Amino acid sequence: MDSGREKLWFGFRTICMSVVSSAVIIGGSGLAVEAAILDGMMGGFEESMGKRAQEKGEQLVIGDFYPAESPDSHGPIGMMGDHTHNQGEFMFTYKYMRMFMEGNRDGTNNLSKADVLRDFFVAPTEMTTQMHMFGFMYGLNQTVTLTAMIPYVLKSMDHETRTGVKFTTKSSGFGDIRLGSLVRLYAFEAPSIGSHRFHFNAAVGLPTGDIKATGATPLGVTRLPYPMQLGSGTVDLFPGLTYSGGLGRATWGAQAIGTIRLGDNSQGYALGDEYEVSAYGAYRWADWISNSLRLKWKDWADYEGRDPNITRTNPAGVPLVPTALTGLRGGERLDLLVGVNILFPEVMGLENHLGIEGGVPIYQNLDGPQLESDYTFFVGWQIIN
Amino acid sequence: MRKVLSYACLATLIFIGWVTMAQAYDVAEVRDGATITGRVTFSGKPPEPLQFEVEKNLEVCGHQRSLEKVEALNGLLKGAVVILEGVESGKPFAKQDFQGKAPGKGTFQYVGGETLGLRVNTENCNFGPFTGVLTPDEAVRFGNKDSIKHVLHTFVALDTRGNVLRTLHNRDIQPDGSFDRVFDSGKLKDSRLIRMTCNRHDFMQNWLYVVKNPYFAISDEKGQFVIDNIPPGHYTLRAWHPVLGLQEQEVHVLPGKALGTDFAFSG
Repeated sequence: MDSGREKLWFGFRTICMSVVSSAVIIGGSGLAVEAAILDGMMGGFEESMGKRAQEKGEQLVIGDFYPAESPDSHGPIGMMGDHTHNQGEFMFTYKYMRMFMEGNRDGTNNLSKADVLRDFFVAPTEMTTQMHMFGFMYGLNQTVTLTAMIPYVLKSMDHETRTGVKFTTKSSGFGDIRLGSLVRLYAFEAPSIGSHRFHFNAAVGLPTGDIKATGATPLGVTRLPYPMQLGSGTVDLFPGLTYSGGLGRATWGAQAIGTIRLGDNSQGYALGDEYEVSAYGAYRWADWISNSLRLKWKDWADYEGRDPNITRTNPAGVPLVPTALTGLRGGERLDLLVGVNILFPEVMGLENHLGIEGGVPIYQNLDGPQLESDYTFFVGWQIIN
Repeated sequence: MRKVLSYACLATLIFIGWVTMAQAYDVAEVRDGATITGRVTFSGKPPEPLQFEVEKNLEVCGHQRSLEKVEALNGLLKGAVVILEGVESGKPFAKQDFQGKAPGKGTFQYVGGETLGLRVNTENCNFGPFTGVLTPDEAVRFGNKDSIKHVLHTFVALDTRGNVLRTLHNRDIQPDGSFDRVFDSGKLKDSRLIRMTCNRHDFMQNWLYVVKNPYFAISDEKGQFVIDNIPPGHYTLRAWHPVLGLQEQEVHVLPGKALGTDFAFSG
């Protein structure tokens, strides 16, 4: 990385750290913020919008973040922090995620098993990652929604050696707990222009996931390579911005979220920083069901440093497996996902949402050899008081 | 330099305190209080009541509800808020109760005394009458006697016709729950119009006018209003209805006298 870009990146990280820390502190301290952050600061814009609304005989409403209870009042289930809550409202979420990867790729080119085994003693052939996520959101006041998410992760990776031996490694346990705040920024709506809402996402990932997971391999019980570890081992920041809009039966939204790793973990390395951008549109067919289509772009960097306990070569000095090299972890991918949201009748005053979303990559460029993604699937149940 | 700054800060604080005190209403004995009585009339055809198919909590709210925004019978308008502006000291706030339109049983209860003491008692999916008043910087207690949750959403109107609204509060009122909310004068700015809705039940709509003294009345089913015990003086008398707008007239009340005046709205 050249020094100019490095300085820019450092500046960006510093800003993100300050903003995320402030937002989390605001949320955590329970300050009674009474209105969205930008309320009252958009005078000129509101004046012109107000005039336009009056000319059309419409009502312009500013600062209303409350979406009507409908299936599309939440974004696709695969998104996190897509909506905020009113003061005193809480939401419990159980979400299941499954990601399946099969075959290797370098750049945008597929690699055969033989291609990988030419340079490495072991080739990963497929990997399944499953995550059970238990989430909680609470409307602390009119501006801040607190969020918490505890993941339970299960990973399984199949391999084949040059000698034709096949083996599978597995790891499971709690991942990194994520705590954060969603901070309402600004919202406005009128019948002819629809509703438009903006909020800031700020979260901190705590290093609760195991980064010393071990498993049985042909070399004996060893520390598993990087993608089989359950956490990052670092404190991570997740700053982001979310927009959601709606008009009639259509809703849409966009979200940009970054992942910034603070320092190295106790094993001497750091996962790469990431960012992802999602844009979606949804259509409500009836009061209880809506469908969504989402494009998700994700870019993630190679790891920095290395864990000396992860074996890099076999006894003959041949590079062991691509997943043991921190320089072969980065990549970028564009996923296309289709989803359905269903709103169920209330039970004991509790609102129930079911969300299902699944998608496939339509583009992926990996610092390979690296396993390529085949599909991602989410299903989640949300209960709101 | 530091000394000058200290004096400047002190002077600012004294000024702010003086301004704040100057704007507050003081309860004081009224001698030779005057009375203003009158009627609020309406000419034309009032808009048809809005009809709503209830979508949520039918067991509590019923299957259908209507909202009559302009209640006029034989040319007499109910629910107009009549306010006497500019009285800075005088009688205490009166204790008053106003019932929402059936089948709702919600009430606006004014506890009275040194302050207005508005209590919004929500019952049968009804906050209370279509119009009411509140005072700035004083806690309003919102209660919910229903077995279901309501989502209280209040807005301040940024224009005179209530076409540009800004959210003030947006909060769930749990079954049998209550909480206090202050309508901060800083956020109201110069606006006097507050809209109140329930985000879950769109037929629950009410309007409140921001008053700064107890000299107000709400016209009854005969369109009549009475404001009594007024300190003699020159004031502005306003009549406001959320749909029909605002009218005002200058009045001069004489010690111990009764003044009759009417307001006429048209549709």
